[in-house]
Amino acid sequence: MTSTEATVANTLPEASNLSPSDPVPELTSRALGVALEMAIFVTLALVVYLVEYFVSGPVAAFGPSNFWIAFVVLAAWNGWTFAASHTVHGGALGHTIATVAGAPASSLTIAIRQLARFAVLYAIPFLALDANVVLALLIAALVGLYLWFAPDHRAPWDLLAGTRVTTGFPTATKIVLAEVHTAADLSLDTKRLADERRARRLLLGSGLFSVLASGLIVWAIFSEAAEFVLAEEFSWSVLTGIGWFPRRGVFDLSTLFVGTLWITGIAMMVAGPVGLGVAIYLSEYASPRVRRYLKPLVETLASIPSVVVGLFAISFISPNVLQPIFGDLGIFSLLAAGLGVGVLTVPIVASISEDAMRAVPQELREASYGLGSRKVTTALRVVFPAALSGISAAFIVGISRAIGETMVVFIAAGGSGGAIFETDPTQPGQAITAAMASLGAGTDSVAGSGIAFQSLYFLGALLFLITLVMNVVSDRIVRRFRQVY
Amino acid sequence: MALPRITVPVSIDLRRRRGADLKGQLFQTLLWLSLGLAVAMVSAVLWSVGADGWDVVRERLWSFLRSPSSATPDNAGVAQGIRGSIILAGIVGATFPLGIGAAVYLEELADDSRLTRLIQVTVRNLAGVPSIVYGLLGLAVFVKSMGGLTGGSSIISAGLTLGVLVFPVVVITASEAIRAVPQSIRDASYGLGATQWETIRHQVIPAALPGILTGVVLSIARALGEAAPLLVIGAAPFYSTGFNDFLEQLQGAFTALPMNVASFARLPADTWAGHAAAASLVLLVIIFAINLVAIVIRSRITKKLGR
Repeated sequence: MTSTEATVANTLPEASNLSPSDPVPELTSRALGVALEMAIFVTLALVVYLVEYFVSGPVAAFGPSNFWIAFVVLAAWNGWTFAASHTVHGGALGHTIATVAGAPASSLTIAIRQLARFAVLYAIPFLALDANVVLALLIAALVGLYLWFAPDHRAPWDLLAGTRVTTGFPTATKIVLAEVHTAADLSLDTKRLADERRARRLLLGSGLFSVLASGLIVWAIFSEAAEFVLAEEFSWSVLTGIGWFPRRGVFDLSTLFVGTLWITGIAMMVAGPVGLGVAIYLSEYASPRVRRYLKPLVETLASIPSVVVGLFAISFISPNVLQPIFGDLGIFSLLAAGLGVGVLTVPIVASISEDAMRAVPQELREASYGLGSRKVTTALRVVFPAALSGISAAFIVGISRAIGETMVVFIAAGGSGGAIFETDPTQPGQAITAAMASLGAGTDSVAGSGIAFQSLYFLGALLFLITLVMNVVSDRIVRRFRQVY
Repeated sequence: MALPRITVPVSIDLRRRRGADLKGQLFQTLLWLSLGLAVAMVSAVLWSVGADGWDVVRERLWSFLRSPSSATPDNAGVAQGIRGSIILAGIVGATFPLGIGAAVYLEELADDSRLTRLIQVTVRNLAGVPSIVYGLLGLAVFVKSMGGLTGGSSIISAGLTLGVLVFPVVVITASEAIRAVPQSIRDASYGLGATQWETIRHQVIPAALPGILTGVVLSIARALGEAAPLLVIGAAPFYSTGFNDFLEQLQGAFTALPMNVASFARLPADTWAGHAAAASLVLLVIIFAINLVAIVIRSRITKKLGR
């Protein structure tokens, strides 16, 4: 890099990365950079679409075969920009665009090179996934989001001089890394440094996978849910019928909500006291020897798969626990399913509450004993309020788990094939999750098409939103009521 | 000089007569009751599954383990389910480097920026999403959109879906393991002239290995027990493999143990009495064996490292 390409800024990481001669204010230049890069990304995607269009015709223009064409096109583009920027000063295209955009040629080439790499990363799933506009916008937004957040990139030669290269388009070359600069970075061992850079980029890609997965979930579910709502046979009145009969086109949401509420309520009535009791016992009353045997027992309960508990609900709970109490109960009922879900939720409530209570400092307990309290007073008046935020989090996580529990309800609640609106828990019923399972498994509809099947995604969107809200609420509660010692 | 008279308020507990600690005893009884209920639950589940499945196991354990699905109760078995579960475990295992890499990134390389916080919030939210929503994701992405690559409703799609399902769990447990590694180890490594990646690769990850391995093994156990995503992706309750070779089988119909349990459970109980329970027994034995492996790994490596 010659001096015309690198603007040497001061060495403090927090310093502004604008050189004195840069006339564009930082916010505008960042926005311009992001917009330019996203435009290039969309153009690349259009190129691939056009290639496929001319090769196979309009019908096949979106599809898995685009994957390979995209790969070839983007590999060629990436290779060209690499070659261009390394051999020719900025490259012809870079020069042209740079002149138009008024930015230093080198920075723009770096920008394009980075963008090409990101495009390979994002365009492959984009084009392999039967691209549609929603997805294109989502991925473009993801790319833009990523580019917005990234700080400056440091080239190895900068480290030798202890300086930092400003690129003029700050967003273009930023990679989010808190780099530790060791003595090794000052060596001229290019292989080690190259390995280092490659490893960092791989790890960054893994980190971004979670954002990608979230984005994929949101896209997959909400776009199909939107199709359900926008379908011709749909009208909002369909959502308030007499029951949930997808095959007949009756999608009464209140049936499912009532079922879910009953099951969650029964589950928490079981899991709340039992889980809390186990937690208080383990943290306040148990000797270490008892703890050593009891904790694995709770963990055993946690590792039992939900199908087994569903089987347990119809083969044990219904005949042996419920039918003696309620004579006219069938094998399938909301009560049986609720109790099964309760069994599954006990270890969650117990372990999170116990962690919260163990985190209370011992000084508080000792102070309480010093004032003459009994164990029960200490446990209830000192430890429990101190751990309240964690215990509330435990309950909310338990509720969220109970809402999302599928297999127990699918097996034991008896709602497959349709369920009528039911407020009596001793009758069979249907919950949101089991309705989704029935739709997905094809027992409630012809799997794969039609408004009945789309309702699966509609329910999925609802469920996702509900659990997301509960997650956020539980975070807020923990942060708001957490006592800091 | 007379000492001033000081009155100290005495806690009400001290004024109580010794031996009349009713509230305490009552509370302790309640605790014992809830504890008893929890123990009863575990025992009831295990006993019920064991008792119901005992007949099938006693009479034909080996053939049960080796027979594929069948229409007649005496011939049906869980061989396809076991095979499917093993392949699923393999595919899920192949996705673990992604989760561990993400954990390494979050703990070692990420600065305290908005993007990092976004990633952490995202991982926490993903961990709380119900498994059936992951099934929907698998259906839309792996079965429908990537159908050409994965073969539609195949075991590859199911494995990838379960991989996404356990990804947040792996990230969270690996993060905790990496966080527990003392900073002094890293500093010493830098002092000896290693780069950041070399430190991570040769010092941090080996030091965090017990925790990471435990998390990995427990995640496999969790993934093996999931049935809801399999249902949505289209695990067939009963199918025949025909004469397809291995690669075609990977892209064709599939099943797994939890699916076997679920489909046996929905069959009429008079003729198919113990099959669901026997399949549950097989599943439980496998899961408990995996948990035991995790515990052994944890204690072995912890002892070896002297911690």
